[in-house]
Amino acid sequence: MKILKYTIALLLSITIASCSSDDDGNTEDLTGQTGDLILKFDNGVGDQDFIFGTTYTKDNGETYQLETLKYLISNVSLTDSDGNVYTYPAEDNIFIVSEANGNTAGEIYITLEDVDAANYTQVTFGIGIDQERYASGADGQGDFLTTAQDEGMMWSWATGYRFMRFDGTYTSETETDAALNIHMGSVGTAIDNYKETTLTFPNEVLVREGNEPSVHIKADIAQVFDGVTSVSFDDGYAQVHTDETTTGVIATNMSGIFSVHHVHND
Amino acid sequence: MIDFQNIKKISVLAVAFVLNIGVMEAREIDPPFGVHEHVFEPLSVMCDLCGCSTSSGSFGFGTLSNANFVGIRYIYQNFESKDGIFSNSPITKETFNTYQLWAQLPINDAFYVSVNVPYQDLNREYSEGNNENLNGLGDSSVMGWYKLQFYKKESDSLTFNTERIASGHSLQFGVGAKLPTGKFEEALADNVNPGFQVGTGSVDGVFAVGYNYGTNKFGVNTLMTYYLKGENKNDYQFGNQFSYSANFFTTFPKETYNIMPFIGVSGDVYDKITQYGETLADTDGKILSGTIGSEFAIEKFIFGANYTAPLSQDLFGGNVKSKNRFSIYVNFAL
Repeated sequence: MKILKYTIALLLSITIASCSSDDDGNTEDLTGQTGDLILKFDNGVGDQDFIFGTTYTKDNGETYQLETLKYLISNVSLTDSDGNVYTYPAEDNIFIVSEANGNTAGEIYITLEDVDAANYTQVTFGIGIDQERYASGADGQGDFLTTAQDEGMMWSWATGYRFMRFDGTYTSETETDAALNIHMGSVGTAIDNYKETTLTFPNEVLVREGNEPSVHIKADIAQVFDGVTSVSFDDGYAQVHTDETTTGVIATNMSGIFSVHHVHND
Repeated sequence: MIDFQNIKKISVLAVAFVLNIGVMEAREIDPPFGVHEHVFEPLSVMCDLCGCSTSSGSFGFGTLSNANFVGIRYIYQNFESKDGIFSNSPITKETFNTYQLWAQLPINDAFYVSVNVPYQDLNREYSEGNNENLNGLGDSSVMGWYKLQFYKKESDSLTFNTERIASGHSLQFGVGAKLPTGKFEEALADNVNPGFQVGTGSVDGVFAVGYNYGTNKFGVNTLMTYYLKGENKNDYQFGNQFSYSANFFTTFPKETYNIMPFIGVSGDVYDKITQYGETLADTDGKILSGTIGSEFAIEKFIFGANYTAPLSQDLFGGNVKSKNRFSIYVNFAL
């Protein structure tokens, strides 16, 4: 029985010894430290990865396929666990998410450099361009004006930016392979379709010097047409450009397509 | 005849083991569910299905006859992991080759030590055809074992001093550690599968209890193992793991050799991975497998081969699928 007692004692002592305490995490001094953060945009349709030329079906039975899929993201800010908000420098805080630039897994990377080190819990960004940035005039747009023009994301300067560009064809009961062009944007200062969205992370994102955490953002393209409002291509939504009503509906739907799938703290 | 003394021993030890697991589990803090409204689907592929987990667990620590030995073992495993978050995301194929030096070394009649030193050779093939390879020394493990042998009750107290007859029943209790002798690289490629590692970088506690019964015609081996995973230097902690296995074997003794075919089931249950003190969603999982195989013993040599296929599995939100595995080994009995 002696051996038995020793065995039990050994098992117990090892168990207790392995219960280490590791609640020393929050004393880290992050002052002055910066790091990079990657936002990975991943376009899908429901639970399917989005692929150019694939036919997708809307709730009302209309089908569509796209050959261009891009949208503007701006004013990215991050909220940390203490409620502090970090906003990325304004001049660089505008990006084009273009499916054509995706990697082999169809993810489009936006790398935010020199972000203040912190434990972030949520991200906020706008879809399109806000009135303040537009009001800063052509000179105030910096290099982005050229980039946007090259990417076909501008009407004229007076009209402004296209916030999104979905080009392709659609088929309905009355139309076959008819043109589909969703070019929603604000119209000068007359119509403001800029909208922001805030996404909460499932785990804290730890931005540190030398780390490169990433946030995997899923964009459900299906919700552009079947989101807050379900729209019909046959009913005026095959060509969305500067009309106040249709652009407003698409802008609202567009602001609800994003979700954070997961984060990596590597 | 029932040996009450032995039954008492068994129950005391069983209770002690269960209590130990209870204490370990009590450390786990449940993740704050319900606050993350934007999370809909499982995290893509993160698991402890790395070659490091092949060092033991449902693979077993020794041979059917529980003899002492030194030997080498080769394990082949393949997996499929989803490379992306969508249901039609591409599939990555992973093949793990493990070459192990393993041994069970006697200390005295009741105590022995098992040692396992693996070399890992891991490959993965992406859907677009390019390959990635990782190889090197894996995580070694050392276990100390106590074997409680049960004896037939003597019917005649006058023969008390003569040698007791083994009943064929025995219990084994093992305590040991898995050591970070393999390299854990945090930023491996674009983390398609962080489990694609030769090591976990952590010191893990390993606790095992087994029950064996054997006659000269057949036998049963069962083993339950609990892995208390440590945190590595990257603040990354694989989920605790519970492994179990039961094998039934028969013996066909011949004049100069012995054939022992066996059939069994085994399984693993994984807890969630923790990183920087937070648990990661859908990094847990479980798998139940069936195994058939045989050992062939001739003189001092034991040759073994077995094939394992999953019967049911739900690993990491279904993003990782174990396909099958087989292993072959040659041991030299001590």
